[in-house]
Amino acid sequence: MSQILELSDAKSKGFFGRAGTVIGRRTEGRGIALLSVILVIVALTEPLVFSAYSVTLGRIALIGIVALGLTAVILMGELDLSVASTLALSGVVMASIPELWLGILAALATGLIVGLINAFFVSVVGINSFIATLGMLFALRGLAFVISDEAPVSLVNKEAGISFGEPLIGPITPRVLIFILVFIAIQIFVSKAQAGREFFAVGGNRQAARDAGIPVTRRIVTGFMISGFVAALAGIINSLERTTADPTAGSTVLLTAFAAAIIGGNYLKGGRGSIVGTLIGAAALGVLQVALTISGVQVPVQQIFIGAILLIAVTTDPNSLRSVRGSIRTLRQGRAKNSVTT
Amino acid sequence: MTTKGTNAETTMTEVGATQKSSIGVAEILAWSSRNGVFVFTALLIIAALVFVDGFASLINVTDVFHRAAPVGIVAVGMTFVVISGNYLDLSVVAQVATAGVILIAVSNTHGIFIAMVAALMAAILFALVNGIAVGVFKANAVIVTLATTFIGLGVLRYFSGGSIFFGPPDGIIKAFGMGKVGPIPYSAIVLLVMTILLSILLNRTNFGFLIRSFGVNESATRLGGSNTALIVFGAFLVTAIAAMVAGFVLAAFSNTAVSNDGVGYDFRALAAIIVGGTSVFGGRGSVFRTLLGVIFVSVLTNILVLSGISFGYQQIALGALIVFAVSLDAIGRKVAR
Amino acid sequence: MRKSRLTFAASLLAACALTLTACGSSDDADSAETAAESAGEEAAEGKESFEVYALLPQGNDQPYGTTYLPPMEAMAKELGVNLTITNSEYDADKQASECEVAVAAQPDGIILWPAVGDAVAPCLSAADAAGIPVWVTNSDVFDEDKPLTRGYSGPDTYGQGAASAEIMCDLADGKDVGIIQINGLTGNATAINRDEGFTDTIAANCPNVTILAEQPGNWNKDESQIAASEMLTSVGIDNVQGIYAADDTMVAGAIDALIAQGKDPKDYIITSIGNTFLGNPLVVDGSLDGTIFQSSSWDGANAVVGIYEAMTTEPGERVTLFMPQAKVTADNATDPSVAPEW
Repeated sequence: MSQILELSDAKSKGFFGRAGTVIGRRTEGRGIALLSVILVIVALTEPLVFSAYSVTLGRIALIGIVALGLTAVILMGELDLSVASTLALSGVVMASIPELWLGILAALATGLIVGLINAFFVSVVGINSFIATLGMLFALRGLAFVISDEAPVSLVNKEAGISFGEPLIGPITPRVLIFILVFIAIQIFVSKAQAGREFFAVGGNRQAARDAGIPVTRRIVTGFMISGFVAALAGIINSLERTTADPTAGSTVLLTAFAAAIIGGNYLKGGRGSIVGTLIGAAALGVLQVALTISGVQVPVQQIFIGAILLIAVTTDPNSLRSVRGSIRTLRQGRAKNSVTT
Repeated sequence: MTTKGTNAETTMTEVGATQKSSIGVAEILAWSSRNGVFVFTALLIIAALVFVDGFASLINVTDVFHRAAPVGIVAVGMTFVVISGNYLDLSVVAQVATAGVILIAVSNTHGIFIAMVAALMAAILFALVNGIAVGVFKANAVIVTLATTFIGLGVLRYFSGGSIFFGPPDGIIKAFGMGKVGPIPYSAIVLLVMTILLSILLNRTNFGFLIRSFGVNESATRLGGSNTALIVFGAFLVTAIAAMVAGFVLAAFSNTAVSNDGVGYDFRALAAIIVGGTSVFGGRGSVFRTLLGVIFVSVLTNILVLSGISFGYQQIALGALIVFAVSLDAIGRKVAR
Repeated sequence: MRKSRLTFAASLLAACALTLTACGSSDDADSAETAAESAGEEAAEGKESFEVYALLPQGNDQPYGTTYLPPMEAMAKELGVNLTITNSEYDADKQASECEVAVAAQPDGIILWPAVGDAVAPCLSAADAAGIPVWVTNSDVFDEDKPLTRGYSGPDTYGQGAASAEIMCDLADGKDVGIIQINGLTGNATAINRDEGFTDTIAANCPNVTILAEQPGNWNKDESQIAASEMLTSVGIDNVQGIYAADDTMVAGAIDALIAQGKDPKDYIITSIGNTFLGNPLVVDGSLDGTIFQSSSWDGANAVVGIYEAMTTEPGERVTLFMPQAKVTADNATDPSVAPEW
């Protein structure tokens, strides 16, 4: 979108200069920079992360599936905190039904219904999505506990679960395959489909979008249903691979998925960002986590490290540094003003 | 605009003559949308007094206060961050645990005063990192505070080794934790005092005014010449100090401290703030409303446990009622328009 | 744009340089890399040092884990075992991912402390397929998965609940006793097992004891105190003659709740599990009537002993080492053999 402005600038810079400018201006720029640095450092210190790339891909898929669904909602300027509980609830629903395929369908339906409910509260009733999905986070978790009787629910068809965990093509497991498919589907939707492209408008300026004739409510419903559906998918995948549905699942993935989306350049207030960015963010975090596990560094130190990287990543994007420069300038100007008057 | 107004008034009086009842309803809804949380909490308490055995006993009143105090203190502090338009402060979890562990661990060896000073320094450090990242670098508060939570908990676990620390069985800390005035525990008094102080800070000082205007319109505040970084740092500092006090109160109550104290306080405090009527987008809200939100959630949980309801159903009821209470507020506002 | 990316990359490199020094100076990282290279060729026997991955669901974030780790690391040092330790914080999906990383690293052995017992079958199959022996610690796997493991060492969490119930039954002595029950974190494996052990034994051995109310205390002293107080109000404090909590930290909270209501805990039958620094003194002074000794140091050390045996001997019968489970009551509370460890 902002590429058109740079073309004239870029032509005079040569290939790398041009690539640099394009990447720098696009929202994914920071994510790409972070990913590159992480890849280089990890390649030097823990090359096992790459030789065992199927494991790393699996970890990226774990974070990424939920993050991709979340992005659909974030683009519109909304939030969906309930994904963690939707994940657990769907898993429990699937495991509670003896017939595997019926269970999977029921679980997916659960995700869609949750999305509908969220969208209802946000667009029809008009509550802020933060609190609506926060309430759902509590309520759905409770529902998962009630249905599962507060304990993990074993899959009836354990063999199906175990074979689901085995690689399909080369090192690609069904989880990674589904992750790739979800990525392609959502990316096409958001970039090619009319409805998908309107997500950006809904996020950027909701009133203007309404005035332009975009059916905002319908788009919000679609967004939350995507998020719910994808969370349910994640829950199904996890429960199959574990051969059991854990009602406490999903608690660590929620904030990591958010981090992936934000690192990838998605703006929490909506209107700017990309699905590719989320993919990059998930890749960066996934590689980092696996590398830290292999490094054998003490767990508290791993935590400190992840926190520090997150902090650095989020404070060093072009906007941030521009505002630092601005603040320093204001300070200097303020001091100059004072000296003049005195 | 005046002409419009008079026309509207005339129309409304005409309409009013024939449709008094519907305007009455709209007025009621408008009032309740602004004050929904008061109504709802009052209804909840009345229902509890009538239907739930033992709710009114002095012991139970104390229990409700014990439930409310630590999270409540965090919530009234975090209101500043929310009103300033920065969503929330996830790092309160790490801050509460850090303050509690420092209080008990350090007071055992160096006395309470030094412990409190050390905890204050930790709080200021948290506020500095959060404040600079969000205020100067304009980074997203959710991710920044997530990062500081990781760093904070990592540091805490690294140095405390994750052990439980115990206060002396007859020390001041324990005495404070067990002390009451009638059925009201000292911790609740601390909550009340902090609410009053923070309310004064928010509504009657220049700093408070800047926080509120920052939340409403960030660029306007900046154009007005104020140093926005300081405003943001101030909001996080208030939250940090509140979290520190909450950590003290929590440690005093159990006379122990461990690095996983305070789990869940981030979302619980936010729920209380929002139920109280403060907008997540910032600008609108008050500390007293947060206190009410805290009481609402604490009374609700108390009722559910008294009724013998299992944990799963408790969470469902809590989530449903939070959404319901806020929905009522939103619908009332829509109708009033 | 270039400036901001440079700043960002520079700060990231600085942070990584710090960690690299940490990594470089730790023996773990170096030997992990050498082991990963040579693990494929050499057999486990006859080597001077072993590479072992310990997949744990807790560590420095819990008091038990905190005192489990040092004896484990000490024993590892003694036996020449290089440990890579993980902490999945009871998230089954996180542990499964860590297991994938572990199997990919091709260590000589894996110590597994299941986050969710029902969810580890795929991990065990993968390790088995890779020829890596697995030793289970602290929470045993399900019967159908036992053949995939070389052995188990640790407490019997179901048995702990049962033993605590036995103390309660003894002291109830045939009388009608009403008790309130405080459970661990909802959905947590230890909490579930202890709950089942306790309630099954009460129902079988002394049905004269009635559980009037139960709530989760989440292993937390302050939450347990409030929950206990509210339960006492709910069922009527005069109807209660006893209290059971799934661990000493929580029972200490419940005892404080009694004291706050002006009651003397010595008049009540109170039992729990753990014999911790908090619990043992309560037994000595008579407030707590019985607890079950759980030795975190035994647990941690024997996990390493177990995997060492597995790595240096031929596969044979599955070995089970139950932690000596002493009932701690007023009679033996001051005995040095049951001195509290965590």
